Order: sequence, then C-alpha cells, then structure tokens
Amino acid sequence: MRTTRRDFLKVTTLAGGGLMLTMTVPVVAKMLQEDKEGSRVDFNHFLSIDRDGNIVFQLTAHEMGQGSGTGLPMILAEELGADWSKIRLERADYDKKYDGLIRPTTGGSGTISWYWDPMRKMGATAREMLKKAASQQWAVPVEQLSTKNGFVLEAGTERKLSFGELADEAAKVEVPEEVTFKKSEDYTLVGKPIQNLITEAIAVGKGNYGINVDLPEMLYASIEKCPVYKGKLLSFDDTEALEVQGVLEVMAIPALQPAEDMTHVQEGVAIIATSTWAAFKGRKALKIDWDLGENRNNDNQKLEEIIESAGERFEEPAYRAGDYQKLKAEEGYREIEATYENPHQAHALMEPMNATAHYNGDSCEIWVGTQNASKVVLNVAKAVDIPEDKIAVHVQNSGGSFGRRYYPDTSIEAAYISKQLKKPVKLTWTREDGIRHDYFHPYQQSKFNGLINEDRVVGMQVKLIKTQDYVSGDQLWEHPYDFEHLEAFFNPIDGFVHQGAWRSVQVHSGSLGKECFIDELALEINKDPVELRNDLLSKEIEYVAFDRPTRPGQRDFGDIVLEHRRTLRTRNRSVLKFIEAEGLWNRAKVVGAGRGFAMDDFFGETVCAHIVEMEKDDSDWGVKIKKITSVLDCGIVVNPHFGRGQVEGSIIYALSALKYGGIDIKNGRVVQSNFHNNKLLRIDEVPEIEVHFVPSEEPPRGLGEPATPPLAPAVLNAIFDTTRKRIRKLPVTREDILA
Amino acid sequence: MATYQLEINGEQKSVEADADTPLLWVIRDHLKLDGTKYGCGIAQCGACTVHIDGTPIRSCVIPISRMEGKQVVTIEGLSEIGDHPVQEAWKDIDVPQCGYCQTGQIMSAAALLERIPQPTEEEIYRAMKGNVCRCGTYPRIVKAIKSVAKNQES
Repeated sequence: MRTTRRDFLKVTTLAGGGLMLTMTVPVVAKMLQEDKEGSRVDFNHFLSIDRDGNIVFQLTAHEMGQGSGTGLPMILAEELGADWSKIRLERADYDKKYDGLIRPTTGGSGTISWYWDPMRKMGATAREMLKKAASQQWAVPVEQLSTKNGFVLEAGTERKLSFGELADEAAKVEVPEEVTFKKSEDYTLVGKPIQNLITEAIAVGKGNYGINVDLPEMLYASIEKCPVYKGKLLSFDDTEALEVQGVLEVMAIPALQPAEDMTHVQEGVAIIATSTWAAFKGRKALKIDWDLGENRNNDNQKLEEIIESAGERFEEPAYRAGDYQKLKAEEGYREIEATYENPHQAHALMEPMNATAHYNGDSCEIWVGTQNASKVVLNVAKAVDIPEDKIAVHVQNSGGSFGRRYYPDTSIEAAYISKQLKKPVKLTWTREDGIRHDYFHPYQQSKFNGLINEDRVVGMQVKLIKTQDYVSGDQLWEHPYDFEHLEAFFNPIDGFVHQGAWRSVQVHSGSLGKECFIDELALEINKDPVELRNDLLSKEIEYVAFDRPTRPGQRDFGDIVLEHRRTLRTRNRSVLKFIEAEGLWNRAKVVGAGRGFAMDDFFGETVCAHIVEMEKDDSDWGVKIKKITSVLDCGIVVNPHFGRGQVEGSIIYALSALKYGGIDIKNGRVVQSNFHNNKLLRIDEVPEIEVHFVPSEEPPRGLGEPATPPLAPAVLNAIFDTTRKRIRKLPVTREDILA
Repeated sequence: MATYQLEINGEQKSVEADADTPLLWVIRDHLKLDGTKYGCGIAQCGACTVHIDGTPIRSCVIPISRMEGKQVVTIEGLSEIGDHPVQEAWKDIDVPQCGYCQTGQIMSAAALLERIPQPTEEEIYRAMKGNVCRCGTYPRIVKAIKSVAKNQES
C-alpha cells in the first residue's frame, strides 16, 4: 500500500461526539473534506470511539471461518491499549473507490499479513491522540502517559481517563506523523487465544450468512442448470412446473457472458417461487431440451487419453537450469522416475452457494458472502447493464468458502433474475448444484525424474500436465531445495469442468509429487528422508541463470528467484531445526509402525511440515493414522486458538480429499452430487493432531492454507513406510492400500 | 396446500404448506427461524438437526404433514437466553470457525448429553457422526462435549 505517514490516517468527529479515524490516502482525504457532515461516513476501514468508550471496527475482509474478523481488531486493539470487551465489529460494504487502499479480495491466506501494519498504525495513532488529549487535560508531558484496558494512565500516579472521556478532545488533536509500535513482549492481546467475535451469535443460531438474507417482498429462486459443462438451453415446457404450489414464474437463464474468463455461468431454467422449497420442487416438474454440446461424451477415460497424448508432446522446458539432459547420458549418473495424479476436488462448502439481488431500475444491490466483492461489481454491472458505481455489495459472512466464493456466478444469476422481475430475489443452489457445478480443483499429472550421482541427488525434472485454470505450472524453481540441474515442462490441457481456486490451490497439486518424490529419492540413495531434505537445504543458495527472458522494466528473473529461495531456505531450515531440537521425527519412529514426512511453503510465505504416524489396520481403511504432528514457521501467531484451528481444519480438509476426493465424469456430467458420494471426513476419523509454531518475531504470514498441501504426501510416505506400498495418486482407497 | 398445527419452541404455530414440504423449509422460510441450516436435503450432513419430541432429527427430510401434534425445538428454543450447558461449552471452547454447521452440531450434542450425561468417546462419535463440519472443528466439538459431561459430573 502506498501512503505517506502524513496522509495515512484522517481524523473526524463522530456525530454523537467522539473520535473517528479513517485509513486514508490523498484522494480519500479530499472526499472526506467534501463530506463535511461527517456523521459516520461509510469508510471501508475505520475505527471509531464514542463518548462511552465503545469502539467500532469496520471489517472489509471477508469472514468465512478463518477468523480474520477477530484477528484484525485484535491487532488494532493491541496497539490502542483498548478494553477488548468494548470492541464491536461491523461489516463494511464493498466500495470500489477504495480498491488499492484496502485489500479488494480475501484469499491467499494473506489477510492478517496484509493488514498487520495498517492495523497497527491505526491503533497506535489513535493511542497517541488519546494520550495527547489526556496530556493537555492534565498538563503533563505525553511521555508520562500510557494506555491500558481502555484508559490513559499516568506513570507514578493513580490518575486515569477513559477513552470515552477523551474521545471528543482526541478528535481535535492533530494526527501524529510518526508512531512507534509496541514491543512483542508487551503484547496483552496478540498471541492470546481471544474468543472469536462471531462465537456468541453462532452458539444461539444467529449468523450473517448470505443464505439467511431476508428482504421485504423477496422471492425465492432456484436454477435447473444444464448438466453438461457449457451445454445450452434449447427450449423448455413449464406447464407442470407452474402448477406446483408456490411457483410464480419460470424463466430462461441464457448465456450470461461474465466480465472475465475466470467466471462461468451455466445456462439453465430458473424457477421463481414464494419459498425455497417451492422453487426446488418446481424444478423437478420442468421439461427441458438441452443442446449438450461438445462435452456431452466426456468421461474419465477420455481425460486419461488426453493426458496420455499430452505426455507425448513435451517440447521446450518452461524453466531450465544446469545440464540435466547432458548429464543423464553420462557415466556415473542414473535416473529414477515416478508419476503422480491429482484429481479434481470439490469445495463442498457447508453453506450452499447463494446470492440475493435487488435490481431497482437504475441501481442494483447484492447480498452475498464473497471473497471478491470487486468481481461481483464488475460482473453484475455487465449482466444487468448498469454502471459499476450503481451496484452495492453487502458482504455477508460465509459458511465456508475455501476459494469457491472468489467467483461471482451466483451474484450474476441473482441480479439477472431480479432485473427480469424488478423485485428482490434470493437464489439458493441445492447441494447437488454446488457439487456438480463447482469450480473444481484442477486435475494434474506430475511426472518426476531425479538424477542421482553416486549417493547424491543432483538434478530434478518435472513434466506437468494439468487442466487449465487461472495459474500455470508449478514453480519448482522457487523451491529452496538445491538441485544443480533442473528442468520443468508444462502442458496445459482443456478441462471437462470449470475450475478455480481450491484451498491452497496449485501448491496442493505440486506438493504431492515433489514431496513424495523426495521420499523415493531418499530410499534410492538409502538416506533418511528428513536428512535428505536437510542436505538439499544445507548449501547457501547461489545465483542461477535461468533460460527465460526478462521483460523490459522487470528485474532479472535469476535475482528474483535468488531472493525468494534464500528466504524460503531460512524458513524451511527453521522448521527442520525445530523438529530436530524437539526430537519430533525421531519420536515418530516406532517398531512395527510407520511414519511419513512432507513439507512445503505456501506462496513463499508460511512453511509447514507434517509428521504422520501410522499403523497397519486391516479393518476400515487398511491403515490407521495415529497422529499428525505439524510444525509451522509462520511469523507471529496473532491468535493461537485460531491458528491451531486453521491447521487442524486444513489437515481435515486435505484428509477428506485424500480418502474420499476425486470427481468422476460420465456422459459429460459430474457423477458426484451430494455428501453420500462426495464424502467428507467425519468426527470419528480425525487422528490426534499436535501443532507447533516455531517461535518468531517476524510479522504474521498466514495460516488458512499452508497446512493443506503437505498433508497428502506425508500420509502417502507414511503408507509406504508402513506397508511398503507406494501409492502415487489421490484418492487413496482401502483397495489401494490392501491390494 | 393444507394447514398444519405444530408446536415449535413452546409456541403453537399454524402453517399453510404443501404436505411434502420438509420441516426445514417451514422453519426457515415460513417461520423465519434461520438458525436451522440447509446443508444437503438428504439427511447426510446434520446441519438441519432439530429436536422432535426430544429426539435429534434431520428436518430436511421430515415432511410437515408428519408434524401434527409434535413438539419441535430448534436452536432458538434450546434455551431462553442461550445458556444451555452445550451452548456455554461451545463458547468456552470457542468451537466454531465459519459456524454454519454448528447449530446442528449443538442440537445433536444436546440430545446426546440429555440421553447419556457421561458419554464415552465411542458414544460421542456415534451421536455426532451424522454432523459434517467442513472447517474441521471436530477436535473442538469432542472437547466441548467432554467438558459438558465433566461439569455435569461434579
């Protein structure tokens, strides 16, 4: 974020008296001046303190279960010296004019790290202003004052003034140009397991989920979508559907062209009714004629054939360093090879996809849980043909998201329907809609070759084939493992389903092959797999010239890689050092049982390692995961209760994909439809999980996703250690293990 | 369309609905009690769990026509001020992440602890296996249930 200290914060007076701070840049400061009646101006990120000392924090990040809605105000309240019980959270509506000033999306496990400095600055600035107001009132130097629990205190005396008492005067104080931050040893909130601000409401059945939105005159909609990806609607007969009690209207959902490629809206027929159930029921009475299109005969086998043929068409590597090709033909060098398969995975969010829209003729309001309100605006504007600044997005909390609610498809559909009806309408997808028309985790096949010279691993080659999504390839070159000779090939293929971000995105697919293959290499050279990783991380990283052009104005690619790999090497080593110091890997070595290890970084930020302890168990799955020990280097952990929760949740999420995941295609249709055939892990299947955070003074780096990718390879490596059976694909069935 | 009488959270309600309307949608769309959640519609996830005459039932598959004369309790009626021991434990342990499934989890747990005040781990699993949590709060759910059992013991 580009701001100068001077214009970072803007102070205004609350209408009812008190102080309001707004995160600001010059353009926003100007708008503030124009809006002189500063009764609570709807700013995206602000802090206000009223005369009773109540503190309101407005949240622009999306709360979807990751806890940012509590973590962010914790950071702010820490610097402020606030009484936590006085903090109240409000959700800010999305406003396009603040793009760039606030983080416009919520994802990439980046909310806490992105806002770490802005939250601290806002808290510290307000603290200094309150102190200044007290120093004027008491006529004492500001240096003698501090804040604690919502009061300004004077050193050496019993005197104190509450934030509420000072709010009016503080609002008149000039915004300080520079503020200092608390030292971590003085933290009283950050690092503590503060209760999630949404918990009280959840425990009594309240919660601001999109699916709970209820507006006056609101109608209910549900869409029967074409079952085959990109199929088209030819015609429909709604005679019987209109006879269903409560069904009011039936309309076609045409090819709604989204504003960007990432989004896809499947054609279908919408039922408008007086209740959700009537809309669902009406769908069953529809007679629809589809043009199923070119995807009509797609199935698993066809995908395998496409992948096989793509495997024969690798040409130039996307990245190359060293002399892999030359050396592999030379004496003393040998190669091993293995191929890993990552299938599509569904999000299966607990709260089914939904959106509520109210098209008013010249404006449109949307109520939706979204990770990306800016895309909702962009796409809805196009779908209903009104300017972007006439679209308001009221962001609701989500019942899980994991990347799925990054895409605005339900908002587009709801807005389109509302425009036809000129009435507010809530669109609810069924569970079946959500699974069959998901934006699936891409399918990936990774073929690894390793080059070995005597007992040393010197080179790695990876050939990736993956169904296209919005990112490409695996950044093997980013990894700090020291391979002198490296080649990465990439062949994208067209998918049979729509694809998108799925918790930990491409890192999940990349980790499986990379971390299992390290295990295979270790076995080949008769080395402990953790020791091999230590070896590969032992050498200081040097500059590597990459066979890749540098675009004008860009830094040299080799320099970027160098810096990135050096940082990651330090973090990977800190995790390994912690594991060694605590004896965690050695502890997992038990006679008659197996263990597995894997580690990875997430987007170059947090590094996570998992140690899986396993034993044979012929009942059930074939093996039993006894325990998973996780070690993460993630910087300061703002709330360890949430941090542990995210690690446990990521493990359980990845275990569902490992045991029950994978999507099948038959006759162009997604076979899975609901929780009976897209199974998720249940309460009795969760192993013991022990989480360690490497002590750190570095800024927070995110915990929502990093524990997901290394889980599958750690389990597969443990399965090998336990059963000597090398499994190289997901999902892993009982038959795979016992075969 | 017919009129059905049911007792919900201690109040008599009259609802006009098709006979096959699942109780879930009567609760959510007709009675506007949105604590009970739609998750799957086929009794596979437990998000819609309510108590019918004290038994935990998946309201998404029970038609309104079978509710005549029954007593239904939803999360809104589990306690007057949200202080049922299970609700208190959920707050103390700070169980929820996204929170969407948690009302169903709480209703299942409350019914379990009513029936078996000191459940074994196996009994907890059996009673809670029908409730899916995609965020993976299972370890905390087990911990919360055990804490209620422990408090009831003393």
